Amino acid sequence: MKKNKNISSDNSTGYFSVTRREFLKKHGQAAIFAAAAVKAGLIFPLPAEADQIPDIAVARGGPVEATRAAVEILGGIGVFVKSGDKVVIKPNMSFAHPPERATNTHPDVVRTLSEMCIDAGASSVMILDNPLQGAELCIERSGIEKACRQVPRTSVRTMSSGRFFDKVILDQGKRFKETDVMRDVLDADVLIAAPVAKSHSATGVSLSMKGMMGLIRDRGIMHRRYNLSSAIVDLCTFLKADLAVIDATRVLASHGPMGPGEVIKADRVIASADMVAADAMAIDMFPWYGRDIMPRNVAHVFEAHERGLGRMDLENLIVKTVTA
Amino acid sequence: MNFRVVFQAISLGFFLILLWLATFPLVEWIPVDFFLRLDPLVFSGTLISSRQWIWTLVPGLAIIGLTLILGRFFCGYICPMGITIDISDRFFRTRNKDQNALDPDKEVKLRKIKYFILFFILGMAILSISSVFLASPLSLITRFYGLVVYPGLVLMGDTALDVLLPLNLMLGLDGLVYAEVQTYRFATQWFIVLFFITVFGLVYYAPRFWCRYLCPSGALMALASKRPLVRRKVSADCTDCGICRKKCPMGAIDDDPYNTFHQECITCETCVRACPENAVSFSLSHAEKVSGTVGFIPGRRQLIASALAGTGSAILVHTGISRVQSDFLPGNILPDSLIRPPGALLEEDFQARCISCGLCMKACPTNTLQPTWFEAGPGGLFSPKVLPRRGPCDPLCNVCGRVCPTGALRSLSPAEKMWARIGTSTVIKHKCLAWEWNRECLVCFEVCPYAAIELKRVPESSAPVPFITRHKCSGCGACEYHCPVQGSSAIIVEPMEALRMNSGSYIEKGRAIGLELEADPDRERKLPEYLFDPDDSEDLPPGFSF
Repeated sequence: MKKNKNISSDNSTGYFSVTRREFLKKHGQAAIFAAAAVKAGLIFPLPAEADQIPDIAVARGGPVEATRAAVEILGGIGVFVKSGDKVVIKPNMSFAHPPERATNTHPDVVRTLSEMCIDAGASSVMILDNPLQGAELCIERSGIEKACRQVPRTSVRTMSSGRFFDKVILDQGKRFKETDVMRDVLDADVLIAAPVAKSHSATGVSLSMKGMMGLIRDRGIMHRRYNLSSAIVDLCTFLKADLAVIDATRVLASHGPMGPGEVIKADRVIASADMVAADAMAIDMFPWYGRDIMPRNVAHVFEAHERGLGRMDLENLIVKTVTA
Repeated sequence: MNFRVVFQAISLGFFLILLWLATFPLVEWIPVDFFLRLDPLVFSGTLISSRQWIWTLVPGLAIIGLTLILGRFFCGYICPMGITIDISDRFFRTRNKDQNALDPDKEVKLRKIKYFILFFILGMAILSISSVFLASPLSLITRFYGLVVYPGLVLMGDTALDVLLPLNLMLGLDGLVYAEVQTYRFATQWFIVLFFITVFGLVYYAPRFWCRYLCPSGALMALASKRPLVRRKVSADCTDCGICRKKCPMGAIDDDPYNTFHQECITCETCVRACPENAVSFSLSHAEKVSGTVGFIPGRRQLIASALAGTGSAILVHTGISRVQSDFLPGNILPDSLIRPPGALLEEDFQARCISCGLCMKACPTNTLQPTWFEAGPGGLFSPKVLPRRGPCDPLCNVCGRVCPTGALRSLSPAEKMWARIGTSTVIKHKCLAWEWNRECLVCFEVCPYAAIELKRVPESSAPVPFITRHKCSGCGACEYHCPVQGSSAIIVEPMEALRMNSGSYIEKGRAIGLELEADPDRERKLPEYLFDPDDSEDLPPGFSF
């Protein structure tokens, strides 16, 4: 484990951490969550101006309303999706679990996103993943296929056969430099990351950046040959989502990615045009394993920030919170 | 196109459809192992070797009963092996050849072979060794279509999807563009293919060579059709032209065309259609003389000798090093790779019942069920084993036991199946990416449907490492399958503590011995222990780092 003992001397993210940590320790998990949940929008030194588009949007409410509200704060889906665009949405639907397990993106979040894209004139919306368990079971039990069946020009697909993938060069990758990516992703005009917020035993959390692993063919090599966290950053230099919408209506706060673990009913949706910022926000907002974790504690988010892929310095970003 | 060909086509079609339907989820409206249950040898051989009355196999007895009335109609109309051989006949035989050109002496000798095989198999069965799989036509043909033809067709379908992709894209056929098929790979295929090439090739010497000379099920039915109620009759219109004798695919007509060897006759009625004088008919026969039993059934001594050869072979199997005499005693030599499917009986009983038809392997949705080669001894050839590196055993699937015709694998409810432990996983630390390479891998933890893998921090590695909670591990092998280590996996399933029970509930048994094998996602479950010290600010949860 790479323990950086100099953490307190680096003040880029160390905002009043000591006092808050001590406070949280005394008050147990419920207090942690309450504190963490109200934090967004209260603690940040740069409040959003009324007409200014924030870097990060946080909406509170059910999956449908919160998704709409979060994207609306960022200027509406029209900022991201133009008429005639081909859109790919990458949710989590890798497990044959129902929504309560919080291992897959809530079907209503995915459905709402695809409806918004279609309303904005998208020529097609493809909801894609490369599942870990049997594809048909995942599609069925996640509820995503059923939810999106009525949305026009929208399809839910899982892909594993080689004919769906094309080789790409990750020219900004440091070590992980080539991989096979789903052809439909390469053809798409817009890529939307729509992960569920969940913990991950190997990478701390699995959010929009980690979720991009579901669009490539050989994930094993990222575990085997490279440092997984660095490989995720290498991958995201290429698979950089235009919009990240994190479903935190339920948060799998421990024992992810498969659980069963602690599921927090958080009723939040976080959106940002910067996937690193969206991930950082989700990390910061929730107590992972009952602990207060900072974005820099997640190696791939930290590295992405350092390499300029996006920003995790929440205190310098504009966050806008609404109740939908 | 006569009635028989139509019936045969329907029969083979039905057989293939049922074989195709043998998959997960399984249809409820018909037992997909229906044809296997019809085989009289599967009935009698398995009954003797298992010492059990097996109700599902009773149709095989019914076929013997019907044979008393109708003769060997099963061979002529229903048997998919016979029909396949009829098809092969078209490729391997010149049409105008005399169907019965073999030297008569040779003919008499050859025809006895099937009885020897039958008595050999029954002789083995007396000592509880099932060799039904060696020659039961339904076991053979199910294995052939299920493990050789089916995977080939699936591969061709997948290739077609590949090749036609540009066209399908152009035409906007999304259903075809995004269609994905599960391709299958099986062990022992070459042996099965060689066997069938031989069977098909032998047609060169005589049509239905297998059915005439070799098939033990045919021999069993021959014993019942010495004098069937409905049988071939020749009227006085016969001009003794001999066409019927030449055309008979079974060589069941004597030089004197009035004489029929009813035991060899498969009631195909080719002779009826061939007769220019319409002198031949099949009808309820009165007490006229039955001729033609000469010489085809071996003498009593020869039969006893065959049976003794069988029991002798059975003794060899029993005294072979791979034989399991009892699961409960030490001294059994079985490899770690011999993981039996969920619901498998105790090994000796399992082998006494399994006819190695391969239906469970065809039906297995993850392709993890594979035919065994010699790991389980000569009695266990082609019997199913779990090969987790090829695919995990899906906790929600119970298809293998459901399709097993003999009950060698028990038919379990999905809930029971989830508790039918087949082995236990072990981490091979020196191969593990987390233990040995300090990598944040933990794919095994991620994929375990039973949540049987826990992560801990150890001084040896900077990454959290996997530990197996043994009482939660069912041996499903999801970990072994998904492990990104190349070559053999860094986490492997071994048959350790598999629940092998001939009766009773796996859930009750499992609970009684302290297992927790619930993969059902909806059930209330206790969280695993936290993997870090929540009071130590220097210790972060798994995956996070300072």
